[in-house]
Amino acid sequence: MNLNSNLHENTEWRAKYRGLLEASPDAMVVVNPSGEIVLLNHQAEKQFGHLRGELPGEKVAGIIPQGLAERLFAETMSQQSRSGIELNGQRKDGTEFPIEIVLNPFETAEGILVTPAIREITERKTAEKHLAEMEAKYRGLLEAAPDAMVVVNSSGEIALLNVQAEKQFGYRRDELLGQKIKSIIPDGFAERLVADGTRTAAEALAQQIGTGIELIGRRKDGSTFPIEIMLSPLESADGILVTAAIRDITERKRVEDSLRNSEERFRLMASGVKDCANVMLDPEGLVVSWNEGAERIKGYRAEEIIGQPFSRFYPAEDINNGKPARELARARVSGSIEDQGWRVRKDGTRYLANVVITALRDENGRLRGFGKITRDITERKDSEEHLGKTMAELKRSNDELEQFAYVASHDLQEPLRMVASYTQLLAQRYKGRLDSDADEFIAYAVDGCNRMQGLIQDLLSYSRAGASTGAMHRTSCEDALARAVKNLQATIEASQAIVDHDPLPAIVTDETQLVQVFQNLIGNAIKYRGAELPHVHISATREAGEEWIFSVGDNGMGIEPQYFDRIFVLFQRLHGQREYQGTGIGLAMCKKIVDRLGGRIWVESQLTKGSTFYFALPAGEQK
Amino acid sequence: MMEPYGPSAQPIEVLLVEDSPGDVRLTQEALKDAKVHINLQVARDGIEAMSLLKQEGEFAKSSRPDLILLDLNLPKKDGREVLQEIKDSPTLKSIPVVILTTSSSNTDILRSYMLHANCYITKPVNLDGFLKVVKTIDGFWLSVVKLPPRPQT
Repeated sequence: MNLNSNLHENTEWRAKYRGLLEASPDAMVVVNPSGEIVLLNHQAEKQFGHLRGELPGEKVAGIIPQGLAERLFAETMSQQSRSGIELNGQRKDGTEFPIEIVLNPFETAEGILVTPAIREITERKTAEKHLAEMEAKYRGLLEAAPDAMVVVNSSGEIALLNVQAEKQFGYRRDELLGQKIKSIIPDGFAERLVADGTRTAAEALAQQIGTGIELIGRRKDGSTFPIEIMLSPLESADGILVTAAIRDITERKRVEDSLRNSEERFRLMASGVKDCANVMLDPEGLVVSWNEGAERIKGYRAEEIIGQPFSRFYPAEDINNGKPARELARARVSGSIEDQGWRVRKDGTRYLANVVITALRDENGRLRGFGKITRDITERKDSEEHLGKTMAELKRSNDELEQFAYVASHDLQEPLRMVASYTQLLAQRYKGRLDSDADEFIAYAVDGCNRMQGLIQDLLSYSRAGASTGAMHRTSCEDALARAVKNLQATIEASQAIVDHDPLPAIVTDETQLVQVFQNLIGNAIKYRGAELPHVHISATREAGEEWIFSVGDNGMGIEPQYFDRIFVLFQRLHGQREYQGTGIGLAMCKKIVDRLGGRIWVESQLTKGSTFYFALPAGEQK
Repeated sequence: MMEPYGPSAQPIEVLLVEDSPGDVRLTQEALKDAKVHINLQVARDGIEAMSLLKQEGEFAKSSRPDLILLDLNLPKKDGREVLQEIKDSPTLKSIPVVILTTSSSNTDILRSYMLHANCYITKPVNLDGFLKVVKTIDGFWLSVVKLPPRPQT
C-alpha cells in the first residue's frame, strides 16, 4: 500500500493534525511505520535546520540517525506512549545535538502512525554534566562527614546529600534529589536562602553562614526530631549553593530538659519547703543565709547565726575530730555529699539529721560557697524503727501461730487416735452387752471423736496450705480442674451433679494448691445444693491484662449477703452439724491459698438462687 | 527341705517396733484372727529393736523375725536409723521391713524407700481403717508373699 498517495488524497486528515502540531511548543514529526516522515511542524523545521517541504517523504533517520526508526515498529505494535528517550538529532548542516523524544502512536484511517515530540536538551545536558562533575567532587567530602550533609541550591532544592542524611530522614537518595528542602526541614532553612525584597543577595549570603541553628527535621514517616544545622555557602556556576551539616540533637535535648527539670526541682525544694533547713555558707563555712525551716529545726534566729561558723550545729565530739571541715572538703571535691547523723540545736538537744551539702561555683568554676539542706529525721527514724519492729513481731507471731497450728493438730492427732480407736473397739465389742445408756454414751463418744478427727485433719491441711508454696509452674487450669473433679468423683456421682466449664487459661501458679481451691469450691457447691440437681459451672476471664478472674457458679441454696465475708473466716459455719457436716475450714483454706498466690477471693450470691465464688489470680506472664 | 509357711507349719516371726502400747494392743487385736500362726515380738524403741535383731544381751534367745513392722517416730533411736542399720547389715537386710507410721509426709515416704523399706503404710486414724490395714499386711505379707528362706543356723 502506498501510504503517501493515500495521505495526499486525504487532505482533511492533514488539515486537522497540522493545526495540532503547530500548537505544540516542541518539535513534532509524524512518522509512518516504514520510517518515513509524513508531517512535521514549524518547530521541527527550525530545530533541524530544514526548509518546509524538504522533509516529508524523507526517512526520519536523516534527522535522527539512531534509535528512532528501530523503535517505530515496536511502538506501533504496542500502541503505547513512551517518554524520556534520549537520542541525538542531526541538523541539516550535519551537527548533532541531544534531544529527548516522546513517542506517541495513534491510529488513523490510514493505519497507525507515530508522532515523536522532540525537545532539544542541550542546556539540560550541560547542566547535568556540570552537576555530575560537582557531585563527584563533593561526594567524597560529604560522605566523609560524620553529620548528615545536604547541599541546597538557591531555589531551595536539594542538589546533593550523603548517606547519613538518607538514614537520618529515612529517604532514599533518589527520593530527595531535586526535592524542596522544606520537605525535610519545614521551617527556618529555605527562608535563609532567598534574597527577597528586604535584603540583598550579599545579606542573604551573610545570613546563611551560621552555626548552631536549632530547627525541626521531618522524616519520611512524618515524625519530627530536633536538629542543629550548620550552614556554609559556596558560590558556584549555578549560583549560590548552601551546604548544611545537620545533627540530630534528640539526646542532647533530652539531657537539657532533664537538667532543667532537676534545677527547677532543687530550686522549688530549697525555697518553699518549711520542714527543711536551707542554709548558705561562704567558702569558709560561715553562715550567710538562713530560712524559716532552719530556725524551726536548729532553734537560732537569722540575726543570731548569720556570720557564725556552721560547725556549731555539730556535737562536740564531731567538732573535736574535725568532721565539719571534712564535710566541706568532701563537698568541694565531689560537688555534693550526703550525711546522716546527730546534730545539736541551740538549746543543746540533739536530733538525727539528714544533711546534703552542695558546693556552689560560679561560671569560672570558682567556689562561691555551699548550699546546705538539713532535715530532722528523728521522728521518721523512730517511726521507721517502730514499724520495722512491729512488722517483725507480726511476722514472728504469724509464723508461731502457723507452727502452733501444725504441731497442735499433728500431736493432738496421736492421743485422739487412741481415744477414737478404743471407743470404737468398745462400741464394736460391747454393743448390747452393757445397758442401753452405755450404748448411747459410747455412741456420743465415738461421734465426738470422729468430728474432732475431721477438725484436726482439716486444721492440719489448713496450716499446710500455702505454707510450702511448691514451685510455681506454667499450669493448665483445665488440668487442675480435671484433677479436682476426679478427686470429687464419688461425690459428683452420688449427687448426680453436672460440672462443666468454659475454656480455662494456662497461668504460672502452684498447681496442687489450685486443685485444692477448685475442689473445695466445687465440693461446697454440691454440698450446699438447692432443690434442683446441682449444676456447677467454671469459667475464667482476663481482667485488665494483669489477672485472671475465675468463677465457680452453682444453682445451690445461696448465701445471705451479711455472711459474704464471714464464710471465709476459719471455723465459721452457717449450718449446724446436724444439717451439714463440716469444720468451717474449706473456704478459709481457699482464701489462704489464693492470698498466698497473690490473688483475692469473694462471693456473689442470692438466697435460693445460687452462689458464684470468684477468685482472681495473677496472670503470671513469663518475663 | 524348706518348710512351707502355713497354719500347720512353724509360726511366722513378726517383730513390731512400736512405742505406743495402745497401738501394740490394737495390732495384737487385729492379728488375732490372722490366717497364719504369728509369733509377735515387740520392741518399744530403736535400741531395743536393734539388740533384738542382733540377739544381744537379754535377747540372745530371741528368734530372727521373718517380717518387721517399723514405726518411724521412736524414742532413743529413730525408726529411720533402725531402717538404715537393718538395710546396711548383710545378715539383716533380707528381712522385709514394713513402715507403719502416723507420718504422711512426702519426705518420710521418699526417704524410707531410698533406705530400701519394702513398703510404707500410714496408720489410718480410725479403728476400722487400722484393723483393715493390719489384716491387709497379714493377708499380703504373711500369706501371698514368699518370704526369704531363713538362714540355716
